[in-house]
Order: sequence, then C-alpha cells, then structure tokens
Amino acid sequence: MSRSRLLLPLAMLVPSLALTLWIIGYPMVDLARMSVHHVNRFGQVGTFIGYLNFSQVLDDPLFWASFWRTVIWTVCVTGGTILVSIPVALILSQDFAGRSLARLIVLLPWAVSATITGIVWRWTLNGQFGMLNALLIKFRLVDQPVEFLATGEVAFPVAILIGILAALPLTVVIFLGAFSSQPSEIFDAAHIDGAGPLSTFRYMTLPLIRPFINIAIVLNVIYAFNSFGIIWILTQGGPANSTDILVTYVYKVAFQYGQMAEASAMSLMMLAFLLVFCVLYARFAIREQAW
Amino acid sequence: MTRAQRTILYWLLLSPLLVLILLPYVVMLSTALKPASEVFTFPPQWLPQNIDFSNFTVIWNKIDFARALMNSLYVSVGATVLTLALAIPAAYAMVRSNLPGKGPLRLFLLLTQMISPVVLIIGIFRMMAAQGLVNDHLSLIMAYSGFSVAFAVWMLQSYFETIPREIEEAAHIDGANWFAVLWRIFLPLAMPAIGVTAIFTFIAAWTDFILAFTLLRTPEKLTATMKLFYLVSGTYHVDGVDPVSPDSRRLGFRH
Repeated sequence: MSRSRLLLPLAMLVPSLALTLWIIGYPMVDLARMSVHHVNRFGQVGTFIGYLNFSQVLDDPLFWASFWRTVIWTVCVTGGTILVSIPVALILSQDFAGRSLARLIVLLPWAVSATITGIVWRWTLNGQFGMLNALLIKFRLVDQPVEFLATGEVAFPVAILIGILAALPLTVVIFLGAFSSQPSEIFDAAHIDGAGPLSTFRYMTLPLIRPFINIAIVLNVIYAFNSFGIIWILTQGGPANSTDILVTYVYKVAFQYGQMAEASAMSLMMLAFLLVFCVLYARFAIREQAW
Repeated sequence: MTRAQRTILYWLLLSPLLVLILLPYVVMLSTALKPASEVFTFPPQWLPQNIDFSNFTVIWNKIDFARALMNSLYVSVGATVLTLALAIPAAYAMVRSNLPGKGPLRLFLLLTQMISPVVLIIGIFRMMAAQGLVNDHLSLIMAYSGFSVAFAVWMLQSYFETIPREIEEAAHIDGANWFAVLWRIFLPLAMPAIGVTAIFTFIAAWTDFILAFTLLRTPEKLTATMKLFYLVSGTYHVDGVDPVSPDSRRLGFRH
C-alpha cells in the first residue's frame, strides 16, 4: 500500500522531468564536453585541451566588444523599460475615458510577439522604401533618407528603442498589478495629512512597489540578455559585428565560422551569468510569495 | 481635476508611446494595400493611389502562406498538448502526494523555467541532428515542450493547491475510484488554470524565433514567423522561391 502510494505519484512526475532533463540537460552536458575538447568544423569532438578554448575566447577582441555591447544593451533596455513603464502603468491605473482602449494598445506588442515587432520595424526603418523616412521627409525634418540600420552607431540605439518597446507590455502588466494591490486607505490618509502628489509618489508609492521593481529588473535583465530575435531580425549583428551582442555573436561563431568549441565555452559563460540571475529571481519570487 | 480634463491630459501624455506602438501597424496596412510598383517608389507615399488587394492572393498562392500558418498551428498545438499531458499529472502529484524531496523539485522547476533556449541552442541543434530530427516539426514540439513544461507545472500546482481536498474525499466516500475522482471532479475544477497555462504555452511556441530559425531548413516546413522573416530580410522574393538561408551555418554537420 505505502509503496503504491509512492509509485503512482512518481510515475506521474517522471515523464515531465525526463523531457526537461533531455531538452535542457543533454545540451548542457554536450556544451560542457565540447568546451574542454578540440572540435572540428564538422562537430566531431577530438582531443581534450582543458581550458584552452576559454582562454582563446578571452583573447578574442570581438568577444569583448560583444560583451560590453551586451552590458550597454541590457542596462539600457532594462532601465528604459522600467523608467517608461512605471508612469505608463500609473496612468493606466487611473480612471479616465477610453482606458481599456489605451491598455489594449500598450499590450499589443506582447500579443503579436517581439519577433513580429522586429520584422515590422525593419520594414518601417528601411532606408529606401521605409515609411519612417517618408514621414521625416514630409515634415522636412531631414532632406536625405536616413539609413537607420546601415551603420552600427545609428542601428544600435534604434535597436535599443525597439527592444524597450517589445519589453514594455509585460513590465506594464507587472506594475499594473502592483498599483492595483495598493491599499487606498493609506493614500486617503496621506492626502488628509496634506501630502502632495510628488511626495506621495516618492515616499509611499515607490516604497510599496519596491518588490515589484526588483522582479521587473530581474525579468527584464534575463529577457534583454537573451533577446537574440530582435537584433538578428534588425541587423543580424552587422554591419561588421557592430551591433552584435553575446547571443548573436555566439550564434555566428558556432554556425557561420564553425568554431563549435569556442562557441560552447562562450555559451557556458553566459549560462553561468543567467544562473546567477535565476537564483536572484528565485529569492525574490519566494520571498514575495506572489504566486 | 474633472474626469474630462483627466482624460485629455492622460491621452496626451500617452500619445507619443501609442503612436510609436501603432506606427508599424499603420505601415503594414498601407504597404499591404499598395501594388508592388507603389511599394518600391521613392519617396514612399503613405496613402496608396490605387487600393490593391492582390498582395493577399499572392501571399496565399505563391508564397503558400496558408501552409506556413498550418505549420505554426501544428507545432504550437502539438507543443501545448504535449506540455499539458506531461504537466497536469506532475502538478497533481506535487500537490496531492507526500513524496519526499518536493521542495528541491520546486526550486529546480523555478530555475529551469528561467533558462532560455538561446544559450543552449548549439547543444540543442547537435542533439536534434544526432537524432535525425532537424527539419522535422517533431523537434520543435519536443523543444517547446521541454522549455514550457517546468513553467506549466509551476503554474498548475499553485492553482491546484487552492482546490479543497475535501471535495475529492467526498467523491471517494461515495465510491468513485481515484481515476474517476481525477477525471470527473478534479480536472473540471482545475479548468481555469489549465486554460491559462495552455494559452501561455501556445503563445510561447507561436512567437518563437531562434528554435524555428535553427531547426527548420526547407521552405515548406517554415512557420509563419519564419516565412515573414525570410520575406522581409530579402532571402527570397515572391518570384522564384529559393531554399532558405544561403549562409554556411547550414554546413558543417554530420549526423
């Protein structure tokens, strides 16, 4: 009796664990194996070479360029998203005519996905036939069409803006939840005590949504760090690697340059970084018990 | 401040953002209704001179967009069904049994749901190549489920915990066996959570970029998202559809 009590739940759990371990665990082990071996262009694993792949990666100037670009990208997308979404969520949580419509539009990029957002923007930003140039020329803001995606100096900030746009909906939802869970009595009390809107925000709203800001930061860092799609769709990391972040650079090293071992070493480093953030996230999530 | 004043002020404050969000969709609509000769003119015009619906028939007939949509639907529904089939029993076992080690298991689930396919893509491609599953929709279904199942279990079990045990015990006393209890009592009560989980899994699969981009090779297998990407990136044109992706990432793998 007691054995079947354990066997049945175990039989229910094992299939899902098996699939997760197969899809996530096996590639991880394979990456670890390749990162310490010599791997040829055809993906065949050769002799053991220890940390040589890692030191080769650390000597690669393009790796460091992508690394620093990833830092800028992640900080700007996360910071920008949170700075924009707090006031937007604040407005969307007030009562005004057409609020549902405004909410719907703000959530639209989530419904159609970051991928499609990137694809449509790529067409909009096209230097020759793009409609944004048509608009700028019409209002005489520029007299020559701007090649938005042709140089890294312009393309990267543009990509950051689109990254923020794609990350906005989910973050706004987080803060909408935060604002709707605030008790209104203490705000009434503060109002009676003569607190203005600014000091109310600074000394009451902000401290109250602090835990939500933490979660939003961690989620956005993970999202931005991993946003392969947006960069790849807009510029493919080009021209000449000038908009590569780590995920797009690793993809090129593996699948275009055929250096599987170095790419595996890089993937492992990124994985380590992500795990640190996941642990942070787990700590926030468990502490808040928001589930 | 009256409600009318507030309405005007808030819409004004939101308007820059709303314009930025909606701009690409206006572009889509404007471009979709133009004949090709007007799309590729310089400077571009916002309003089409001749409204032309032929783009829709072209995308349907020549690009075979219907098939791409069916492919997307197939992999997304497949991934959703597989994920739920694995996650519902697992979540049920997590909530209703006193299996040892549930705490660490919960933490493991939380951590795996944060790992994205992007950092593992090299390993995933090699694994699917070794199994001969590249360019097979099955590989996508497996991969999507593998990355969704932890999240699904997490989400389902937090809802399952709110369903009172007493209802099931009552059915048990009335003579129902454990399967009848699960099928006729528990699952109907859990429907809201199952629905939400299904939607999240479906959207994750439907909007995926990197897995479909890496694992699919031939035009007839592409999902709708991939089809659009290759169209816009100019890898192939409406006339004379080429096989996808000319670059060498397709080379260099021995199964």
